[in-house]
Amino acid sequence: MPLIEVTDLQTRFRTDDGIVKAVSGVSFSLERGETLGVVGESGSGKSVTFLTVMGLLEKTAETSGSVRFDGEEILGLSMARLRRIRGQRMGMIFQDPMTSLNPVKKIGWQLEEAVLLHNDVNRKEARRRSVAILEEVEIPRADTRIDDYPHQFSGGMRQRVMIAMALINNPEILIADEPTTALDVTTQAQILRLMGRLQQEHEMAIVMITHDLGVVAELADEVIVMYGGRVVEQANVDNLFAKAEMPYTWGLLGSLPRLNLETTRLEQIPGQPPSLLHPPTGCAFNPRCAYAFDRCREELPELRPAAQEHAHLFRCHLGDEERARIWAEKKAAFAAAAGSAA
Amino acid sequence: MRRKHLLSLFMLSMGVALLVVATTVGVASSATHKVNAAAAKGGILKVNQSAGTFDTLDPQLAYVTNDWNVLDATQLMLLNYPDKSGSAGNVIVPEAAKSYPTISKNGKTYTYHLKKGLRFSDGSKVTAAAFKRAFERILSPKMFAQYGIYDGLDTDLVGGQAFAGTGAFTGKPTTKHISGVKAKGRTLKIHLTKRVPYFTSLLAMQWFGAIKPNMKYTNSKSGILKYPSAGPYYIAANNLNGYTVLKRNKHYHGFRPAFAKEILIHNLTNPDTSMLQIEKNQVDFDMGGVPATYAGKFAKQYGVNKKNGRFHVGVTTCIDWIALNVSRGSTQNTKLRTALNYGLGRNQLINILGPFAGSPADQVLIPGLSGYHKLSLYPNNPNVSKAKSVGGSALSGANLDLYYNGLSQTRTHQAELMQSELTQLGAQVTMDPESTGDYYGPLETKGTKYNVARAGWCADYFDPFDYVNVNFDGRSIQPTGNVDYFYFNNAAFNAKMDKAAAKSGKARATAYAALDKTLMTKYVPLVPYTVDNARYVTSNKVHNWIYSIYFNGPDLNAMKVG
Amino acid sequence: MTAFVIRRLFWAIFLFLVATIAAYVLFFIIPTNPAALAAGKAATPVVVKHISHVMHLDLPIYQQYWLFLWNMVRHGSLGYSFVNQLPVRGLIRQDAPVTMSLVFGGAVFWLALSIPVGIISALRPRSILDRSAMIFVLIGISAHPVWIGLILAYLIGYRLGLTPISNYCPLVPSHSIGVPCSGPLQWFEHMILPWMTFMLLFAALYVRLIRATVIETMSEDFVRTARAKGASSGRVLVQHVLRNSMLPVVTILGMDLGLALGGAVFTETVFSLHGLGQQLITAATSDDLPVVTGILVFACIAVIVFNFIVDVAYAWLDPRIRLTT
Repeated sequence: MPLIEVTDLQTRFRTDDGIVKAVSGVSFSLERGETLGVVGESGSGKSVTFLTVMGLLEKTAETSGSVRFDGEEILGLSMARLRRIRGQRMGMIFQDPMTSLNPVKKIGWQLEEAVLLHNDVNRKEARRRSVAILEEVEIPRADTRIDDYPHQFSGGMRQRVMIAMALINNPEILIADEPTTALDVTTQAQILRLMGRLQQEHEMAIVMITHDLGVVAELADEVIVMYGGRVVEQANVDNLFAKAEMPYTWGLLGSLPRLNLETTRLEQIPGQPPSLLHPPTGCAFNPRCAYAFDRCREELPELRPAAQEHAHLFRCHLGDEERARIWAEKKAAFAAAAGSAA
Repeated sequence: MRRKHLLSLFMLSMGVALLVVATTVGVASSATHKVNAAAAKGGILKVNQSAGTFDTLDPQLAYVTNDWNVLDATQLMLLNYPDKSGSAGNVIVPEAAKSYPTISKNGKTYTYHLKKGLRFSDGSKVTAAAFKRAFERILSPKMFAQYGIYDGLDTDLVGGQAFAGTGAFTGKPTTKHISGVKAKGRTLKIHLTKRVPYFTSLLAMQWFGAIKPNMKYTNSKSGILKYPSAGPYYIAANNLNGYTVLKRNKHYHGFRPAFAKEILIHNLTNPDTSMLQIEKNQVDFDMGGVPATYAGKFAKQYGVNKKNGRFHVGVTTCIDWIALNVSRGSTQNTKLRTALNYGLGRNQLINILGPFAGSPADQVLIPGLSGYHKLSLYPNNPNVSKAKSVGGSALSGANLDLYYNGLSQTRTHQAELMQSELTQLGAQVTMDPESTGDYYGPLETKGTKYNVARAGWCADYFDPFDYVNVNFDGRSIQPTGNVDYFYFNNAAFNAKMDKAAAKSGKARATAYAALDKTLMTKYVPLVPYTVDNARYVTSNKVHNWIYSIYFNGPDLNAMKVG
Repeated sequence: MTAFVIRRLFWAIFLFLVATIAAYVLFFIIPTNPAALAAGKAATPVVVKHISHVMHLDLPIYQQYWLFLWNMVRHGSLGYSFVNQLPVRGLIRQDAPVTMSLVFGGAVFWLALSIPVGIISALRPRSILDRSAMIFVLIGISAHPVWIGLILAYLIGYRLGLTPISNYCPLVPSHSIGVPCSGPLQWFEHMILPWMTFMLLFAALYVRLIRATVIETMSEDFVRTARAKGASSGRVLVQHVLRNSMLPVVTILGMDLGLALGGAVFTETVFSLHGLGQQLITAATSDDLPVVTGILVFACIAVIVFNFIVDVAYAWLDPRIRLTT
C-alpha cells in the first residue's frame, strides 16, 4: 500500500475577483522511503497541492478528491485528528528559513514544542531530543546553540533547524517546499546531502517541491511536473531525463545550465504562467508552446501513458512520432554542443 | 463691590426697608417658625462649588461672595444680623459686644464692651485685641488687602494713613500700630477723623470679625488658609483645590444657630454633574447657584419658593449694567449714551440669563436702598426709533468696542445680542472678547480701550454711598484696580456726592434720590438693565433655607440638613 | 540585557536634561517678567520684587538653571507656588495619584477591552462582530470625552444609580478632615465612570491597531510553521501570534500613557477629579507659573520614564532588539 495516495485533488479559492482554480485534478502516489520530485514554476499549484494534503489552507479554500495517508482518508478530516498527524507522521518545511521561525522564541523552545505537542514526555526529555536532532542536522555546539534565537543563525543554519524541527518526531514523510531556493549554491548542496542522509537513516519518504530540475535529478525517485494546476508529466526520474514526452518538460530541461555546453544563452520558455482565475481554453500551456496547433487550443489533453513505458504519463496532443522526432533533435543539439565544447 | 459673584454685606443700622425687598420677590422659604434647636442640630451639610473655588478665606483679604459666605459662618462680629429671613433678619444685634456701641456726641468715637467668656475654636480667650488686629491686617502694607482702602478706611481712622502709608501702599508707613484703634482688656475704642454715619454697619463686615491677635501678616494672594476663629464654625481643613471643611465651634455660645455639625464644601466641581448630584440628594446645594439652562426645569419640577421647597429664587443686592467708557471714543458723547439706554433691550438681556434671572432696572439705586424712587426713565424693550432720534448723528457714525467675557457662554450671548441691537441703531461694532480668564483686569486699567462692557455691582454695605460715590467718584481713578471703570469724573457731580454723603436721615435719602436721577438723565455713564436674582436648588434634606442679602448667599449657619 | 538597560538609562538621563533646559528656557528666559507671573495676578510691586529675589532671577542664567536643576535633583523640589502657598511638589503629590489612578486604571480597562475585541475581529474579519467593533471604534474616536462623561454620569450615575455621579476617593483609607471618602471599594466605585469615559478613545484606537497587527501576524510564515507542527489554533494564537503582534502595541502604549496625562483633563473636569490636568488649567488661568512649570517638568519626566520602561519591555519581548541596539 502506498504511503500517500492522492486521487483527483482539486483546490479552489473564492476571492473577490472570482474563483481561482489552484489545483485541478492532481493524482499521484508515493511509497515509503521514496522521494517524489514535484517540479513547476510559481503558480503551477505545486505548493498548494501539498498545503492541501497537510490541511494548512485557509477556510476560504474548497477542496475535493481524495488523499489517503497510510490507507486513511485525510482530506476533510477533523482538525483535531489532522493535527495529530501533522508534525508527527507528516512533516513540512518551507522556503524561507528567515521568516519561518518565530523570532521571539528560542529555537530550543520551538523544537521542544514540536516534541511536547505529540509526545507525553517531560521538558527535560524534550530538550534532550532537541539537542540530539540538532546534532544530527550538523549544527555545531548544539547544546549551547539550542538557547539561541533564530536571528542568531545564518540562513543555512536556520534551514537545518527547520529540518530538525520537522524530523524531531520521526515522521514517515517529509514535505519540503523549495527548501534550498533561498540558499546559496554551496549551502544548497550541503542541505541536499543532509536530507539524503536523514532519509536513509530515518527511512522516510520525501516530497521535494522545486522549480530546479538539478535538485530533482539528485534526490528524486519519481518526478511529477505540474503546470496550470495539473500534472503534465509523471515519470521515474531516469526515464524523464532520458526521454521527456511533452513540450513543457523539454523547455524545463533546455533551460538547465550545463557546464559542458558551449552556449551563449540559456533556452527560455517564452511568456508567463497562466492565470488560474481565467485559465486558457484547452491545454494550459498552449499560449507558450512552440508546437501548439488548433486542437491544443480547444481540447484539454488527457494524461496518457507513453508508448514504451506505461508508468510514464504525459499530457499532450502531439503524436508519438512527432514528439519522438523533436526529442531526438533536441538531444542531438545537446550532444553537438557538448561535443564542440569538449 | 465688584460683581464677580454675589456679595454684599450689611445694612444700615437704621434697618431700612430691606423689608420691601424681602417681601417682594420672596426671599426664600420657611424660617419664621420656632425651631427646636436641639432636635434639629447635627448632620453634614454637603456643598459643591461649581463656580470655581475661594480666592481666599483669610478674613481681611476676602472680597467676593463665596469667600464671605463662609466667613459669615466662621466670624464672630461685634454686632451681627440674626439668621432669619424677612424683617426679623434686618435688625443688627450685639453678638460679641455686650450692647450697641457708645458713640460720642460728635460721632467720632465708638466704644464697644465685649462679653465675658468668649473663646476661639482653640479655646483661647477673645479680647478687644482680637478686633484691633483685624483693623491692622486690613490696612497693613505687609498684607495683600488692597480693598480696604477703597472704602476710605485709612483716611477715616485716626492714625490710619500713618499706619498704612499714604497713597495705596505706595507711601512709607510711619507707625507700627493704628493710633486711633485702642484695645484694653475687653474694651475697644475707635477714633475717627470725621463722622461716618454707616460706621456701625461697616463693622459688621466680615473684615472686622475677631481674629487671634498673633495672626500673621501675609503677602500671599490666598492669605492664611486655616486659623482658629470665634464664630459658630471654624475652618477645620482648607484645600482650595479640593475640600474646605467647616466644623462647629464648641466654644461658641452666641445666638447664631449652627445647625449642621459639619459643612463640607467641594471646590471646583463640574456644574452639570453637580446639578445631578443635588437632584439625587447626594449633595445639598451648589454655591454657584443654578445655571441659566436649568432654571426653567427646576421651576417646573419643584415650583418656586414653595414651603419646604427645593428651588429657591431670591432677590440680591446686585445690579447688572452695561458700562460705558465716558473717556474714550464714541462713548464720550452723552447723547449716544442716552440713546443706548433706549436702544439696548433690558428684557432681552435678562432672558439670556434664563428664567427668574432678575427684574429689569434703569437706574443705579435698587429697591430698598435709602433714596430709591422708581424713576421709569427708559423702556424695558428696545425703542429703536426713539434711540435713533435721541442719538442722532453721534449714533450713526459711532465706532464701538464691545468688550465681553469670551469664556462664558451667557456673556457671549449677551454680547452677540447687543452687537445686533447696536448695529440696528446704526453703529459699527467691534467684538472684543476676553478669553484668558481675567475679565476685570483690563476694565479696571486706566486707558482701557472698551466702549461698551457688561459689568455689575453688589453692595459691600447696603447704603447708597456704596452704589453712587464708590462707583462714580472720578477722583478715585488710578492707573490700575479702578472701581470707577466708566472713567467718569465730573467736578460738579463730585461736589454733589460729597454733600450727600455728609447728610443723614431723610435729607440723605432725598439727596441720593436726586443724584440717582441726575446720573441717569444728565450724565448717563451706563445702561443699568437688571437687579439680579439668585437661583438655588437644594436636596430634599435641606430645611430652613435662608437667603442672606447681606452677602448675597445662602446662610450656611442656619441650614438644617437631614 | 543589562547592557541594553544601561544604555537606555543614559539616554533617559540625557532626555531629562534636554527637557528641563527646554522648560527652563520656555518659562524663565522667554517671558519678560517671570516673577510677576509667578506672584499671580494683582501682586503689588513689593511682592513681585521679593519673589524675584526668591526665584534667583537676579543671578546669571546658567547659574539659575543650575540651581533649578540642583533643586530638582537634590531636593526633589519643583518650585514653590506663591499663589497656593505650597511647594509645587506638594500639589503634585496630591494630584498625581488621581491622574495616575485614572490613566493606569483606564489603561488596564482599555487593554482588557481592546485586546480580546481586536483579536476576535482579526480572527473573524467582516463578521458581524468585526463590523460592530468597527462602529464602536468610530464612536470612540469621534465622541468628545466631556460629552461621553456627561452622558455616562447622567445615564448610569443619575438615572440608573449604579455608580456615584462624580468625585474622587483616595485608594488608601484616610480619616483626615477634608477627605470625605476613601478606601479601595469607594475608590473603585467612583472611578468606574471616569475609567469608562477616559478609556473609550484609546480602546477604539487599540482595537484597530490590534486587529491590524494580529491579521498581519497571522499571515506570517512562522505561524504556518507552527500549524505544520500540529499546534492547535488556540496555541498558535497565544504562543506565536500574540507575543509578536503585541510588540507595536507595547511601543504605542508607552507613548500613550505619557500623553494621556494631558488628555485626562477632560475626564477630570467632568467628574470633579482634582488631578494634574485640572490643576494645570487652574494654574494656567491664574498665571501660577511655578505650578505650570512644575507640572510640565513632571509630565516630561513621566514620559521619559514610560518610554524607558517601554524600551526595556520591548527588548524583553523581542530578543532581536536587545542585541542590535
